[in-house]
Amino acid sequence: MEYIGEHLGIGKVGNVFVILSFVLALLASISYFFAAKDNDDSVSWKRIGRIAFRLHGLSVMGIVSTLFIMLMNHYFEYEYVWHHSNKEMPMRYILSCFWEGQEGSFLLWTFWQVVLGLMLQRTAKKWEAPVMAVISLVQVFLASMLLGITIADYHLGSNPFTVLLRDHPDFANIPLFSSPNYIDKIDGRGLNPLLQNYWMTIHPPTLFLGFALTVVPFAYAIAGLWKKNFTEWLKPALPWTYAGVTVLGVGILMGGAWAYEALSFGGFWAWDPVENASLVPWLTLVGAAHLMLINRNKGQSLFTAFFLAILTFILILYSTYLTRSGILGETSVHSFPTAGMAGQLLVYLFCFLIIGILLLVINWKHFPKQDTEEGLWSREFWMFVGAIVLLVSSFQIIFYTSMPVWNKIFGMNKAPLKEVVTFYNNWQLPFAFVVTLLIAVGQYFKYKNTDIKFFLKNISLSFFLSLGLTIIMIFLLNYKNRYYSILLFSSIFAAVANADYMFRVLRGKIKKAGASIAHIGFALVLLGALISTSKKDVISQNTSGKSVESLGKSFSNNDNILLTQGDTLKMGKYLVTYKGKRQEGINIYFDVDYFSKDETGKLVKEFSLAPLVQTNPRMGNVAEPDTRHFLTYDVYTHVTFADLETLLEKKQQTSDEYAPAKNFTLKKGDSIFSSNAIIIFDSLSVNIDKRKYHLSENDIAVEANFQVLDISKKYEANPVYVIRNNSIQPIESRVDQLGLKFMFWQINPEDGKIQISLQEKKSNVRDFIVMQAMVFPYINILWIGCIIMAIGTILAILERIRRSS
Amino acid sequence: MKKVHILGIILIAVAIGAIFTTLNNTSTYADFTEAAKNPGSEFHVVGKLNKEKEAVYEPKVDANLFTFYMIDNKGVESKVILHKNKPQDFKSSEQIVLIGQMQGQEFHASDILMKCPSKYNDGKPEETASK
Repeated sequence: MEYIGEHLGIGKVGNVFVILSFVLALLASISYFFAAKDNDDSVSWKRIGRIAFRLHGLSVMGIVSTLFIMLMNHYFEYEYVWHHSNKEMPMRYILSCFWEGQEGSFLLWTFWQVVLGLMLQRTAKKWEAPVMAVISLVQVFLASMLLGITIADYHLGSNPFTVLLRDHPDFANIPLFSSPNYIDKIDGRGLNPLLQNYWMTIHPPTLFLGFALTVVPFAYAIAGLWKKNFTEWLKPALPWTYAGVTVLGVGILMGGAWAYEALSFGGFWAWDPVENASLVPWLTLVGAAHLMLINRNKGQSLFTAFFLAILTFILILYSTYLTRSGILGETSVHSFPTAGMAGQLLVYLFCFLIIGILLLVINWKHFPKQDTEEGLWSREFWMFVGAIVLLVSSFQIIFYTSMPVWNKIFGMNKAPLKEVVTFYNNWQLPFAFVVTLLIAVGQYFKYKNTDIKFFLKNISLSFFLSLGLTIIMIFLLNYKNRYYSILLFSSIFAAVANADYMFRVLRGKIKKAGASIAHIGFALVLLGALISTSKKDVISQNTSGKSVESLGKSFSNNDNILLTQGDTLKMGKYLVTYKGKRQEGINIYFDVDYFSKDETGKLVKEFSLAPLVQTNPRMGNVAEPDTRHFLTYDVYTHVTFADLETLLEKKQQTSDEYAPAKNFTLKKGDSIFSSNAIIIFDSLSVNIDKRKYHLSENDIAVEANFQVLDISKKYEANPVYVIRNNSIQPIESRVDQLGLKFMFWQINPEDGKIQISLQEKKSNVRDFIVMQAMVFPYINILWIGCIIMAIGTILAILERIRRSS
Repeated sequence: MKKVHILGIILIAVAIGAIFTTLNNTSTYADFTEAAKNPGSEFHVVGKLNKEKEAVYEPKVDANLFTFYMIDNKGVESKVILHKNKPQDFKSSEQIVLIGQMQGQEFHASDILMKCPSKYNDGKPEETASK
């Protein structure tokens, strides 16, 4: 069939760029390989490599621009465009659509590596050929992810330019495609509304730049092993490694901030496999950076420096495999759906793993021998210890995160632990303690050997100051857990000691203080994480009066609170009122006001929060939190249950009528619930004033006494059971304030049980939400720490660059 | 013995500890029958909601209590008492994973994970009303 209005030309252009980028990366890699192999007399190979890589870069730009043009013009004939964008979507989210899918995010990664490659071509000088050979090889693999060709039934990559919507196997035989001008009639599926926020615009590019940066120390390390030049690579590689630490670190914490602000995880870090997968290479990268520094200064720990630089990149590939192969399955909230790339990713992973291991093994005996051992009081020894602790810490995290992989390999059936966060926290706490302690004392040690008296004299000020601060904090926060208290001390000590070092020893020379500032930042990140997590206070405790503890100790979950519209409940130090809900687009906001009492007992409104539920057409209803930020704490809330149907039906229940009656059989002491009150059957009485009810003396009358309790007041209801002339003629009792009507129908004289009916006014049925609210104290320390750490590492990079030029 | 070797031994011990605690994790995927044989130990049970039977959530009584019936992958049904709020999208869930233990005839779950229909793949190209 001839289709009208399709733009198939641009796809062909894009596809040409994809093929070119792959072929040129291959050419660059081969040329640079020979240039590196034959050393300096091979200018011609190097020239070919250079030109090929630049043209590869141009092709990648070509792919990126073509995909952008397709997204901006809504060419829905392409599956990628249809899948990730639509016409209504604001233009500012076009970037997010670009990298929402597997293909786009690989493209983002490739793009950053092109940028880095082009910079290295200019700066790497004699290292250019071997380093670029490695980077070009990585590019070959990344470019192959977009190829989308089928060789002997094996699909290699997924190509956004060649997969047409009407050819997609999932959408075969859709009648729409029998119309030649179908393209005029369709709209895209659109970007997942959950991702339509600014985090999706800034988080992925930062994280992928961090991923891309890890390739630089890797390439240099491989080049060093390959050229048997074991130490000279460290100097040019160090600033890149620091840059990787900064960008990847910020990228990871941005992910945490996103989870905290926009997703209802109930915190900034959930030890989710996807989060762990990027944290682990960051830890090893930090270790690598420190070992590289030791070797630059003292010539020690060379093997470990190589090992960690290579391992970091391998872990990046492994994390790519974990998050994109679909193996995590149900264990992660935000892994990519599988796109049949698992095999390809494994080949990619093993290829570089084998290259790394082979080169390390071959060169094992060529490593310069270390004749002297590091002194016990030397800076290099303790830095080495620190790096190894980071390695073990990352090993623990990745080993547990890989559970689905072990399940698959060993045919096990293990499920994730229920208390997985506690499990990780308990394991990581000692590591964090050792690391922060080393950060505190590290700079006070001198390379080679330290006069221990001098050291003690120097550090004592920070030590006692930190001890004092810790005691004050323990008192202020009412800390009871001794392990947390120890970490609290070591984190404070790390921050204080580095600040002291910066001002006293370096005399505030900001240029040289990069390391100290970065360490202060890191210590503050840990401090903020520790306090906000350990003193997290769930203020939405269950106040229903019914104890869930009675059901068993392990079920003491009572973190949810029920708020009925108009009622005021106490929650933590606030009094809260649920005002009502409103709909904006696909978001339903729940307005909750927070009050406090002033001296006279009057309610004063402090602030309002509007957590929302997004009626996400793709993921169902998704709760998004709303948080009130204060300097020293945050109030974080999200809706865990709400009746959305009443809103969707838009029923206004203002009528004064009574709803159909509900019948109850009660014995003395039983209680029942109306939508606004608890009703307790108190007693029966026969001594009633018959005149009041206009009854004659022959009538049999029994009155039931009910206590009706709403949130603030107590009422009474007294329906009367009457037998007059052998027929039952009950007299109703109403509680008009609550819109309740009682009727007393029967008494069973044997067991004393009575039958009543209860009617409520229709307007009574008030809206409610079930909500969770928690206070995170001092979480701002964490965000400030992140910024300080970034500033510190940037200063360190600048200092490195300044020194080397 | 060098200091580095001592350090190495300590670290290998810690690493083995990490492996051991991971593999020693007793939480496994199971069905109701297996959970019933081991009352008091925790399992992850995968299954489907029985939509014919009543699912009771009375937030006014207890916002942290929700009862329903689930059929596990072997076809065995059990009453489930979830000590949490009713998940917002409960009715449309395709698959449920419960974390908890059997107590008598009831499965007491402390947490629930749900898979909603084709989280990523729903939606087919269709004609839009406009144009």
